Amino acid sequence: MKILVPVKQVGIIDEDYEIRDDGKNVDVDFLDYEINEWDNYSWELALNLQETYGEAVEIVPLTVGPDEAEDVLLNCLAKGGERGIRVWDDALVDSDSMAIAQVIAKVAEHENADYVLTGTLSSDHSFAATGMCVAGLLNWAHAAVVSKVDITPDAQQITVNRELEAGIEEEITVESPAVLSIQLGINEPRYASLRGIKQAKAKPVEVMSHKDFGLTDAEVGEMGSLSKVRKMYAPEHSQAELIEGTVAEQAKRIAEIVKELKGDT
Amino acid sequence: MINPEHDAQVVTRIVQQDFPLWMSVTFYLAAFVSTAIFFYGCYIQVRKYNRGQPFSLTHIKKGIVDMIKDLLSHRTLRRRDRSAGLMHALIFFSFVLLFIGTVTITLDYDILRPITGRMIFWYGEFYLWFSFVLDIAGLAFAIGLLYMMYRRKWMALPKLNYARSDRTQEEPDYDRSWYRFEDWLFLWNLVIIMITGYVLEADRLIWLQDDPTVWDYRWWSPVGTLFAEAMKSMYLTSEGAESFRYFLWWFHALTAFLFVSLLPFTKAKHIFTALVSLVVRNRRSPARLPITDATAESIGVRSITDFNWKQLLHTDACTKCGRCHEACPANASGFPLSPRDMILSLRELSNNTLQKIKIPEAPLLKVVGDGVNQIRPETLWSCRTCGACQEICPVGIEHVPMMVDIRRALIEEGEMDPAVQTALQNLQKKGNSIGENKRKRAAWTKKLDFDIKDARKKPVDLLWFVGDYASLDPRYQKVCQSFARILKTSGVDFGILFESEMSAGNDVRRVGEEGLFEYLAENNIKTLADCDFSRIVTTDPHSFNTLKNEYSELGGNYDVLHATQLVRQMLTDSQIPLARKLSKRVTYHDSCHLGRLNKEYDAPREVLGSIGVEIVEMPRNRDNAFCCGAGGGRIWTPDPIDIEKPSELRMKEAASIEGIDAFVVNCPKCMNMFEDAVKSTGSDDKLEVIEIIELVENCLADD
Ligand code: SF4
Ligand code: SF4
Repeated sequence: MKILVPVKQVGIIDEDYEIRDDGKNVDVDFLDYEINEWDNYSWELALNLQETYGEAVEIVPLTVGPDEAEDVLLNCLAKGGERGIRVWDDALVDSDSMAIAQVIAKVAEHENADYVLTGTLSSDHSFAATGMCVAGLLNWAHAAVVSKVDITPDAQQITVNRELEAGIEEEITVESPAVLSIQLGINEPRYASLRGIKQAKAKPVEVMSHKDFGLTDAEVGEMGSLSKVRKMYAPEHSQAELIEGTVAEQAKRIAEIVKELKGDT
Repeated sequence: MINPEHDAQVVTRIVQQDFPLWMSVTFYLAAFVSTAIFFYGCYIQVRKYNRGQPFSLTHIKKGIVDMIKDLLSHRTLRRRDRSAGLMHALIFFSFVLLFIGTVTITLDYDILRPITGRMIFWYGEFYLWFSFVLDIAGLAFAIGLLYMMYRRKWMALPKLNYARSDRTQEEPDYDRSWYRFEDWLFLWNLVIIMITGYVLEADRLIWLQDDPTVWDYRWWSPVGTLFAEAMKSMYLTSEGAESFRYFLWWFHALTAFLFVSLLPFTKAKHIFTALVSLVVRNRRSPARLPITDATAESIGVRSITDFNWKQLLHTDACTKCGRCHEACPANASGFPLSPRDMILSLRELSNNTLQKIKIPEAPLLKVVGDGVNQIRPETLWSCRTCGACQEICPVGIEHVPMMVDIRRALIEEGEMDPAVQTALQNLQKKGNSIGENKRKRAAWTKKLDFDIKDARKKPVDLLWFVGDYASLDPRYQKVCQSFARILKTSGVDFGILFESEMSAGNDVRRVGEEGLFEYLAENNIKTLADCDFSRIVTTDPHSFNTLKNEYSELGGNYDVLHATQLVRQMLTDSQIPLARKLSKRVTYHDSCHLGRLNKEYDAPREVLGSIGVEIVEMPRNRDNAFCCGAGGGRIWTPDPIDIEKPSELRMKEAASIEGIDAFVVNCPKCMNMFEDAVKSTGSDDKLEVIEIIELVENCLADD
């Protein structure tokens, strides 16, 4: 059984930030980068499966991103797994979920993967769409917001719990192969020590381009995307108010606000 | 002294006179067997230590000199327990004399006499003095031993209760009654040797009472003679004594042989292990953790054989005195950690495995786990690396590096509190444990009405390494501002590193994340290499410790001062324009990293003194100061709510002092802990938690 785990390097915005001159994204000067939080959980799931079933399971992290994004693969490989894949090409800039999914789906085919485990969403753009797109392109089953899984190697069907609104859980069976989008809290991701990360540098990372899988430039990047960012901005009006003063003064002000909102005055 | 009518050669002690041959032969055989068991035991112990990792000794000469000083002065034993130290000294010195005595007899009687056909020196005047000295030594020995019995039986000292704080009563290794048995066996064995020795001597005197070369000189053995007088008054006759003699003689000899053969296997072995432990100990190790190769395939201690021989020997040196147990803040707060019990668990684990002919399979050697004599992760994570245990240990055991060695393996395996994991991830990403953006690091400077120089861009005399807690903790930011104003007002040329500064890594290293420590240190060293400065100053004792003691191993050699050291110097040079003095009575808390780890007890006190502040010392001060509970990464893990935290215990200690109005600290982490504790213990109406630096600033002119 082979499990492909796409992981994403996301940008974390500082409190003071500026929007890029073209108005379409945050200025990179104000970004720190780290692994998407959800992807820690999907990778942990893969690691747990491999630890349970040993050699019967191969797990491979994949990222679509430039050189710097290799850090997230190292972070994964520090915890386990033997090799990683990174796909990049300048033509991939400004890809949306669909365009990225094109690449992931091709890698899944190429690798003969049985499962693709994505995060439910990524913290920077929050589309929550990549997993779904991959499943669509591969014509595989898909389950989103997965909070519990029971996968055994060679199973034709697996049982999956999904988190719904109001704390309701849904238990479903899914045909394999499948794409699962994993929710936070499904497990406790382990710590990758800095020594581990350094040692992971010895593990091979295959660097490829979308063209290696027969995708054309038109199928990826902005051209291959179904959506396009027109403008990014901070909404002007904010309801927030900082209440200062002594505890008594603060309490008084809160009472006033409550009354105002209730329309008592 | 010797009556001229007596032949001096005759004035000696008969040893095996009138013994049938078989008795003498059996005696020497028994002596040989017990000595053989003794040496075999020593061999087993040495083989056990050898099964640990290699460790090369440096400063061995100094180690020996220090050990001899420790031994002769008994200073490590006297500390904080004078009576135990005194009594141990009685036991030790008299034991040495008695041992020399026995060797003398063996030499002259068993070796020289058979060769030369006569005694060479053990007779006449020499013999009389010999008798006298040994008789008194025996008395001292017995007094010491009886006191130790009294301590155990009647004083019922909590530190001598071996029941464990990290186990429940149902668990098999909870009360360790074997240890109590062993203590008593040791004491009784020696007491019986002593008493039978006196009785035997008395018996000999009575038996030979008609022989003036014996009886006339009896008071040279005063204690034995008192016994003899007593026995005579119970109508023991010369004949009775003669027949009683054989039994006594054998009983005395056999208890002595028992002692010799048990020596390498029981508590008694501390006679050797403690001495070696004192020679090889490294007093600085809590401040400068032993360096390790972070690039090695594996790091830290997983199996008992991953400890080095010195550490295995340390575990055998422990006498279970309980001083570390008593000093440990984690233990005092009811955390499942006692440094003594950790050492003893490791000792048992190593005895049960490494004393065997063949080393058992790997799973049986595992140090961490839930089994008997294994150490639990929660035990290891309770430690604050405050060094109090190591400081007071009379036999020089180094608990802290052992603790950290095991933690290193836990970190690699990801076995840690989620809060620690979050802190380490923050440090990896942002260079501070709080998870604030790097650019926030110097935000505290914005409240000042002057700019602080950027040491990355301009040369400065003094480079101020602020530290992450100091930079980001809102309460402590005020202290940073005070310090900046003091420096500015005093015309010091100083600067900071702004967002290029990363956590110094002191706590990171102590939780066992060696790779991350090196990453942080290398980054800071690189940043500092591009700056032009003459000295480093910091208000944070954690940063102070690591910059001063640990960066040199990675190539960073600096002249580092703690803020209180700098301020003391500036006050002496009248460089700080003081407008007033304070009239306050306060108590002062020694932070572990400045005090115990770096032995700077005086600078803060002198600073307080020169600004007119009177210090009322806490009951536990200086090297005995009680940790606030934040060290060793514990600041990242919230303490459970149902316990009394170390900081609360400490605050109560302070609050019990009459007539003071402030609790003075010198560390951002202490500040953080005690700000909470002063409220949670309800002491905030009485005490204010304040930094020395703030008090100094209060003496500047208002502008
Ligand atoms: S270093 Fe401090 S907290 Fe840790 S075991 Fe020793 S005394 Fe206890
Ligand atoms: S480790 Fe040292 S201080 Fe602690 S009980 Fe043993 S001998 Fe005493």
